[in-house]
Amino acid sequence: MPSAASPPINGDLPRQFASRDALNTLLAQEFPEAEGELSPIRGGREAAEGKLRRIDARRYAKSRNHLKGAVTGLSPYIRHGVLSLAEVRDSVFARIRNRDEGGKLINELGWRDFWQRMWLDLGDGIHDDQEPFKTGHDAGTYARELPADVRAGSTGLACMDGFRDQLVTSGWLHNHARMWMAAWLVHWRRVHWKAGADWFLEHLLDGDPASNHLSWQWVASTFSHKPYFFNRGNLERYSDGHYCESCPSANSCPFEGSYDQLENQLFAPMPAIRDSGNNRNQQRNRQRRSSGGASAALARPKR
Amino acid sequence: MTFQRPILWIHEEALGANNPALQAWPDAPAVFVFDTRWIQTARISRKRLGFLYENALDLPLTLRKGDVAAEVLAFARRHQADGVVSSSAVDPRLERIGAAIEAELPLELLDPEPFVELPRPPRLGRFSRYWREAEAVVWEGYSPTR
Repeated sequence: MPSAASPPINGDLPRQFASRDALNTLLAQEFPEAEGELSPIRGGREAAEGKLRRIDARRYAKSRNHLKGAVTGLSPYIRHGVLSLAEVRDSVFARIRNRDEGGKLINELGWRDFWQRMWLDLGDGIHDDQEPFKTGHDAGTYARELPADVRAGSTGLACMDGFRDQLVTSGWLHNHARMWMAAWLVHWRRVHWKAGADWFLEHLLDGDPASNHLSWQWVASTFSHKPYFFNRGNLERYSDGHYCESCPSANSCPFEGSYDQLENQLFAPMPAIRDSGNNRNQQRNRQRRSSGGASAALARPKR
Repeated sequence: MTFQRPILWIHEEALGANNPALQAWPDAPAVFVFDTRWIQTARISRKRLGFLYENALDLPLTLRKGDVAAEVLAFARRHQADGVVSSSAVDPRLERIGAAIEAELPLELLDPEPFVELPRPPRLGRFSRYWREAEAVVWEGYSPTR
């Protein structure tokens, strides 16, 4: 570990720790308002390089939509510049035998670059709705506060409480889990995306308003042509049924139903949109179910 | 702009050895400051602070907490610096801090290595528009035979 080029004076925070527990104690003293404990995910170059070495672009392309898929876990290190996107790009290039093998992963790096460019463009405007909601509901009807049972992880939905626990203890969530959670909060619980997005930023090690807020807006439909939503079959499939097996709400699952049923239940009729957006949504969802392909079932943004 | 004895301000977007300020001035005193106002108003959890801390410990930095611009300027006085070097940031909060520093001392911002260099600013608004312009340029750096 390097030492600072500057001899320490009063008020400098320590650089030497006997253990990770000692860092935890120091943070509790210096930042008493910051809640929770350390994440099991470690910072630093060595941890980042370990993840970089384990990149498997081919398996990533095939399995990325599954919670247990071969995702890289690099986002926290990229977000804070421990690894640059250029470095990760070159690392992918060095590991693939042809362009097809790396297409999906390079595309995801492109998403990160895109979000950053959007943030540079929007500045603080990233905190505002980019467009009107296409849900048939007025922006004012969405709650501005995160419900207490969501924050506490006591909703009784095994999936959502499970995602909340992972978010709060590790500071990282699979992209698909982020999207399900965002869709549930915005469309089922009718919470404004900003309340959920700000809550994510409290916890996500990779949190920045670029990827996070714009992806929440994409789900909400204020940065897309139509809202993103899902059903139980989709969640069950990509989580290997892990949550549904033990869910106390399995017999009253709010996500049970076809995409058509859920769309009618969640969204109010919007004559102007009906002709275009929602019908497209129905068509897309029909294609999703019939094709059954992973990429068809998961709509886009990446955080 | 050429400084004789700058200090480096390392911020949350560039906590890596490839930070262009660290690369340009490997022997200059460098500081990272935990932004206490941001931590409080955004309710940043200890996990995130620990992650930042562990990243910062990998670099030859002095660590401080408080008002970032005030701390960076105090660090500059501590080293009789004639300027501050940092890396350009995307976060408007960091831009505002940079402006507050620059009101007192010259500030030079170096650009980190880009993911893709496009001949002109791409069309944003939707990813597909951006990627139509960027994808081929990104892949120019790939050669399957190497």
